[in-house]
Amino acid sequence: MKKVIVFLLLATLGVYLAITFFNIGFGDPHFVNGVKDFYLKETVENLHVSNTVTSIVVNFRGFDTLGEVTVLFLAVTALGSILYKKRHEVGARSVLFSSSSVVTAGSKLLFPAVILLGVYVFIHGHLSPGGGFQGGVIIATGFLLMLLAYENYSVSHTWLSIVESLAGITFAGVGLLGFMNGGTFLQNFLPTGVLNNLFSGGVIPIIYIAVGFKVAAELTGVIYTVLHEKGVK
Amino acid sequence: MDSSLFQLLDYGVYGTAILVMLIGLYGALVKKSLLKVVIGLSVMESGLNLLIVALGYLKGGTAPIFSDGFLNGTNKVMVDPVPQALVLTAIVIGFGVTAVALSLVIRLYRHHGTLNIDEIKNLKW
Amino acid sequence: MVGTPVLFVAIPLLAAFLIPLLGMIWKELVRIVPGLVLIYLMVLSVNLLNHVLVNGPIVEVIAGWAPPFGINLVFSAFSGFLVTLMVFLGLIVWIYSYRFKRNVGFEPAKKYFLLLMMLVTGAVGIVLTGDIFNMFVFIEITGISGYALTAFYTGRDSAEASFKYLMLGSIASTLLLLAIMILYSQLGTLNMAEIATKIHTVKPAYKVISLILFITALGIEAEIFPLNGWAPDAYAEAPGPVGAAFAGIVVKASVYAIIRYIYTIFDISGAYDFLIIIGMVTLIIAEFAAIRQEKLKRMLAYSSIGQMGLVLVAFGFGTKEGVFAALFLMLNHAIIKSLLFLSGSYLVYNSKDKTIAEVNGMHKFLPITSFLFALGAFAIVGLPPFAGFWSKLSVLTAAADSHMLFVMSLILMVSVVELVYYLRVVNRIYFFKKEESVEAKKPTFNALIAMLVLGALILVIGFYPDVITGVIHKASADLMDKTKYINDVLSIKQ
Repeated sequence: MKKVIVFLLLATLGVYLAITFFNIGFGDPHFVNGVKDFYLKETVENLHVSNTVTSIVVNFRGFDTLGEVTVLFLAVTALGSILYKKRHEVGARSVLFSSSSVVTAGSKLLFPAVILLGVYVFIHGHLSPGGGFQGGVIIATGFLLMLLAYENYSVSHTWLSIVESLAGITFAGVGLLGFMNGGTFLQNFLPTGVLNNLFSGGVIPIIYIAVGFKVAAELTGVIYTVLHEKGVK
Repeated sequence: MDSSLFQLLDYGVYGTAILVMLIGLYGALVKKSLLKVVIGLSVMESGLNLLIVALGYLKGGTAPIFSDGFLNGTNKVMVDPVPQALVLTAIVIGFGVTAVALSLVIRLYRHHGTLNIDEIKNLKW
Repeated sequence: MVGTPVLFVAIPLLAAFLIPLLGMIWKELVRIVPGLVLIYLMVLSVNLLNHVLVNGPIVEVIAGWAPPFGINLVFSAFSGFLVTLMVFLGLIVWIYSYRFKRNVGFEPAKKYFLLLMMLVTGAVGIVLTGDIFNMFVFIEITGISGYALTAFYTGRDSAEASFKYLMLGSIASTLLLLAIMILYSQLGTLNMAEIATKIHTVKPAYKVISLILFITALGIEAEIFPLNGWAPDAYAEAPGPVGAAFAGIVVKASVYAIIRYIYTIFDISGAYDFLIIIGMVTLIIAEFAAIRQEKLKRMLAYSSIGQMGLVLVAFGFGTKEGVFAALFLMLNHAIIKSLLFLSGSYLVYNSKDKTIAEVNGMHKFLPITSFLFALGAFAIVGLPPFAGFWSKLSVLTAAADSHMLFVMSLILMVSVVELVYYLRVVNRIYFFKKEESVEAKKPTFNALIAMLVLGALILVIGFYPDVITGVIHKASADLMDKTKYINDVLSIKQ
């Protein structure tokens, strides 16, 4: 009975949404004078950043990103708070399995390459697809690989939280620096360089690198916390 | 090719996204296992993200990156970058919520020894 | 200049990132720093509010891009009033729980105070921001802090309550994003002021579906019937001060968001009647549900839902008197309901089931707490001369002015129900014999101070309502003046 009600409800919602979106149309310009033309123009001419998505995420709507980074930070804090145990209850890893020597050796070989790829992705965030979030996730997968391959691989919680805090402070601090330089919060105060150069875009790469470190540390922290959750019974 | 076929394909993008969203929501509302509920919520968010990205598409547009290839090329149409930026935010927020949801599932499992929603009903649902 | 609105977000975020490092240096800092931040925000908001009441709203641009291109924050009389209220309550909750959380150990305490500070920041962000997507981000910040705080105690069924809250919350955020994207697809902008100027060009079909999605999504957070399933459980299972923070801060922010959409962004006149209808339904159902509750905090939660319904009804009149009444009610509800939660959680501190029956005869052991609870109970049902009387009176006057006598009589009828269940509790506290099994827990010194401040405020507003009505009049005039809001925001040049 419940299934039928839910199904009918969702069918109604689906029909309404489908009609709305089919009417909006796919691939046609829906509006005139949107903000996007301004973004596309300013990104090249003023900020000298080639990836428009990056310039929107870090500069035009940088405040959103600060909030987003905070959400991640809060998620890690919440995870720790919800899964909190007194010290004597903390056990070893709950997911235990031994990997073959091929896997362990291969992971060791792969790990630096994965980290390097992640660093590349977030350093080039303003030039090519990718950025701090994507790079951070790639780095975290490197740690996930190591945690899965080695039973007793451990990451220092203290260091993770130091990296996380420092990266967050860098983001908020760069924002406040823009504020103190007589501008507004998160405003660019560095020279913007030449389009398509590594050193271009003013504070955008700095913020994105901080975001990269922060995301990497936070995601690794999440994986580590959950892996060390001892199973019940 | 027939233009109506193109139109059908266009609708297909929205249709798929909405369908994925509804499948996720259905799973979240109907399934008995807490883990499946969380997966449902996650699928729903993916459908939504797909829908948002599709909304920003412009016919013949390329990715909104001013690479050398674009600057020297002939195609001057770019898709709308704003939905992509918003989706990036939405994905990260979705990740945060999923992580919290999973930790709550772990807590519930620790407490009750089961993932079945029917057996956890200490509070009225 | 006395400061700028962006500090309301930047300073707490900086502090939040610093707290884990500070905790490594000296453990006590994780308790002190959030309090210092909240004190600073309190000073800042009072200063800015004084400035704004005289000189008009402050619109702050972020990252140097003028609206509609960048995100902007608006500190006007209306938003400033709510921000001050929220920061004040955050401070009260911090004072209350400073020692209350002493027994829980370092790690949980660190997380508790961090999450509490972020809960306040998120709510303040919702109120300050002038961008619909940015509001979504702040709603999520508030949400995640809320989920974690609900599940704070490992012993109770709190994880279940929190999971319920999370499920509804994430469905809400999906609907909210859909609504935002439908508006974006039509207008190409996310700035509230610019949307408000262009909204008449949008086809009614899109406008209506997007408004419905907005109200459904925000209604989940604002506890509108039938979307409030999470609220009683979350209030009952969360730590007492967190319940106070939900009632005083989170719900207020969500109501603000609904009101901002209906009053400023959309131009659908039917929305006002819709507000009255859902408000009335919420009010009636919640008050009748409250009378059947056995647990004290669940009763308070339903009462809170009912009060929010009343606030929506008052906003639904759409007149200046209605807005005035609604804002006055929000202020009183925030203060009084927080006091009820804070004192109520000491009344049932050591009882296992936290039922109403277990508060019997508590006045002998907890004289001040019992007195404050009774004061709050009398104030919230609207007995003169307490604060709640004036707000209920202004709601009734506003209803009469709008010629809604039916609504007025329903509100009066529901008030009787409210009176019955609050008097039942007070009666038990004062005139019943104490249960042997329940041991009273003396409130800590700072908890007492926090409660006394709230109690004193109720009396001050009750006897001298003029101290606050001037501010509320200006705030309500500010909300009603849509053109001024749009001009203030869009006149900013780079």
